[in-house]
Amino acid sequence: MERKLWISIAMAAVGASLLIAATATAAPSRSAKPTKAGAGGTLITELNSDVDYTDPQLTYYVPSWEMQYATACKLMNYPDKEAPEGGEVKPEVAAGFPVVSKDGKTYVFTVRPGFRFSDGKPVTAANFKMAIDRLAKPKLASSTAFLGSDIIVGMQDELDGKASSVSGVTAKGNKLTIRLTHSAPDLLARLATPPFQAIPASLASNIDPAGVNTYPSCGPYYYAARTPNRSITLKLNPYYKGSRPHNSSTIQVNVGNSLDVIYQNVVKGTTDYAEDGVNSTQYASIAKKYGINKKQFFIRPELEVDYLALNHDPGKLFHNNPQLAQAVNYAVDRHAYLAQRGFLAGQRTNRILPPGMAGVTKKTQILTNGYPISASPATLAKAKSLANGHTGKGKAEMWAPNSGPGPLQAQIVQFNLKQIGIDVGIKLLPRAQQFVTARNRAQATYDINWSAWGADYNDPFDFINILLDGSSIGPTANNNDAYYNNAKFNSQMKQASLIAPGPRRNAAYQALDKAMMGQDPPWAPQFNRLNRLFVSSHFGCFIYNPVAEVDLAAACKK
Amino acid sequence: MYRYIARRLLWAAVMFLAVTVITYIIFFVIPADPAVLAAGRSARPADVVRVRHYLGLDHSVPYQYGLFLKRLVVDQSLGRSFVNRRQVNTMIGEAAPVTASLVIGGAILWMLLAVPIGILSALRPRSLLDRTAMVFVLIGISMPVVWIGLVLQYSIGFKAGLLPNAGYCDMINPPQGADCGGPADWFRHMILPWTTFAILFTAIYVRMIRSNVMDTLGEDYVRTARAKGAPEPRVMSNHVMRNAMLPVVTMLGMDIAIALGGAIFTEYIFGLPGLGRLAVQSLQNFDLPTIMGIVVFSTLCIIVLNLFVDILYAFIDPRIRLE
Repeated sequence: MERKLWISIAMAAVGASLLIAATATAAPSRSAKPTKAGAGGTLITELNSDVDYTDPQLTYYVPSWEMQYATACKLMNYPDKEAPEGGEVKPEVAAGFPVVSKDGKTYVFTVRPGFRFSDGKPVTAANFKMAIDRLAKPKLASSTAFLGSDIIVGMQDELDGKASSVSGVTAKGNKLTIRLTHSAPDLLARLATPPFQAIPASLASNIDPAGVNTYPSCGPYYYAARTPNRSITLKLNPYYKGSRPHNSSTIQVNVGNSLDVIYQNVVKGTTDYAEDGVNSTQYASIAKKYGINKKQFFIRPELEVDYLALNHDPGKLFHNNPQLAQAVNYAVDRHAYLAQRGFLAGQRTNRILPPGMAGVTKKTQILTNGYPISASPATLAKAKSLANGHTGKGKAEMWAPNSGPGPLQAQIVQFNLKQIGIDVGIKLLPRAQQFVTARNRAQATYDINWSAWGADYNDPFDFINILLDGSSIGPTANNNDAYYNNAKFNSQMKQASLIAPGPRRNAAYQALDKAMMGQDPPWAPQFNRLNRLFVSSHFGCFIYNPVAEVDLAAACKK
Repeated sequence: MYRYIARRLLWAAVMFLAVTVITYIIFFVIPADPAVLAAGRSARPADVVRVRHYLGLDHSVPYQYGLFLKRLVVDQSLGRSFVNRRQVNTMIGEAAPVTASLVIGGAILWMLLAVPIGILSALRPRSLLDRTAMVFVLIGISMPVVWIGLVLQYSIGFKAGLLPNAGYCDMINPPQGADCGGPADWFRHMILPWTTFAILFTAIYVRMIRSNVMDTLGEDYVRTARAKGAPEPRVMSNHVMRNAMLPVVTMLGMDIAIALGGAIFTEYIFGLPGLGRLAVQSLQNFDLPTIMGIVVFSTLCIIVLNLFVDILYAFIDPRIRLE
């Protein structure tokens, strides 16, 4: 018995000391060592979940496009500047703005010499055609093909397998010609998106539907390594001679830590930038500790709007019922709704277009004489008077996501609308399911849908026409989740879309925004999100481009 | 014995089919079209149709299930993810070693702690050691794994900086771009996850081993062995431990299988790219092939482990074979 006892004690000691010994001998992990400070070092960012792809013709995630801004060279691009200059499309590889035919259907670009891929090969006009051809390959089945298929001649034919390349795009020497099916002045903004970047011939011939992880690119950086779900490494393009900044030698993106751990790592300085943000509950203390827009914590507006889509389809509460839509806009408590997203999550709004788009600024973010952004007894009284006699059966169904702030925001709407005589039933769904089902007209049984939209590119077409043009409503795949179909406004949207970029186009869309919201509101816009950006004390040269977000190419180590 | 194994294998195949069929049905009962998700938010109806065809979702559910089985049996392929189109075999092949590291390391740790503590407690009932062990058991069982993990991560990983607060390093062949790798890094990064993972099971096993040993010590055959003058070590090893550890072996096999599912929390807290995290991501994205791949893999693991335990049990206890 005694011997057994000693053996047991020895085993217990081994087991228990395993932790202690390991802990005592363990040096801080390699990831805990701060990288050597100074320009040319390694910038470390973290993502909570992986990007979809790094392939330029496949990727469609925001963090991925943020990286693509550092790796891609495009005909047109956004300058490495903050708003408003950073939101204006300028020629990058193109020698200047294109020559546009009188009918607005043919664009001729001249490609500047001097740009090279990271493998040393020069960038020519053909590399841009390769990108468009690859984007339309049916085997690739890219979800970003929509960016060109509705306007570029022959792109739909290639997508449908009727052609092997896009007939409307031709490259001859340093000239690239793009022919359009109809005038589309937002083409330049579309060409500034990642799928239209120049690609090398080696990538053009690789049509793997799973995409490629690394490839030579012609921007300041290139994808040197990627292990899905683990890490992405961007390295300096040794042949880059362009004017864009490129301050770090390496940009390392680590993937998979929880938001809490990412916060801890940024505080410690082992991570320089929380690309997916941190837990929303932590922003108040971060702001208190580091200040706002000083050194480590920055807030910047996103090209985004959170709104309640008011279903205008026949049989739904808001069909031919502008008075009730107006009443809802008076009744909802935007302050309470926004507060559910946490500290500094956004700025309340009463209009469709977000600041930074179509000339909307921080000052004009709230329409004067529009709906109130603060609830009060007076606004409630106005809401009641508008709703009087227009509440139908006094019942409405609201869909909202079952996670994040969705359930609480739905309850706020439920309470607000109860005040004007509408009994709101809430249906909570997983966000993916809510999104998919709301796009199917027959299945979209809601009267009010919790919704949000971020811009694909900086042009009001991507907000007003994409989201509210009733002539494009079909049985499935509807982005117009208000099923808004106003003949007068459909026509005005089409007219506005034909105006060339500039003050006239901006004014037309702003007027449309105001008219729709005033006369027959498709939505109850709630707020525009703010990007809350937490960086380490080593992070320098901070630039937030209003479209591409944090400028990783410009970022430097202090 | 062979009939016994054949019966077990047949039952395993039936269980496998049942699990995959149920998963398929659940997935298609949910009214969310994965083709719409995969086509992107701005896709037009024609784009969705094309993507649906590409993903093979334009066939009937039974046909799709048949294709899935054919692919699995004939090509040994689990298909491609709807979300990133990677081969599910590859994704599981990358994630499984991480989960295995966690579960096997955790199991070793909990057995290293539970066996001696359980035996000591049984041999010295109501002693200070026993009472201390029982307090640990109560705490270990009561505390949620998530809470333990967060506390360890914050206090030891972040505040004290003694160990990495999260992340995973490959023991061999770290991938290109990884900032750590090798056995030492792997071990350091796994200490907190193992501890988190093992505490609950250690507590359960201490209590079970203590109870089994105490029960066995009171059996007639133990008293007889002692009366015959058998030395105490032989009594303990041949009569007490062999009988007391039988249920532990069974439990260990089942618990390791169950732990594959329980690893989700630990993997999430410590950012381990294992099967648990992959499962959560796949569920959020309605990524059926990946979900099915994980279900198939986990089911096979559970079946194989249970089979192994059953066979082992038959070897340890001859009565099983007779029955």
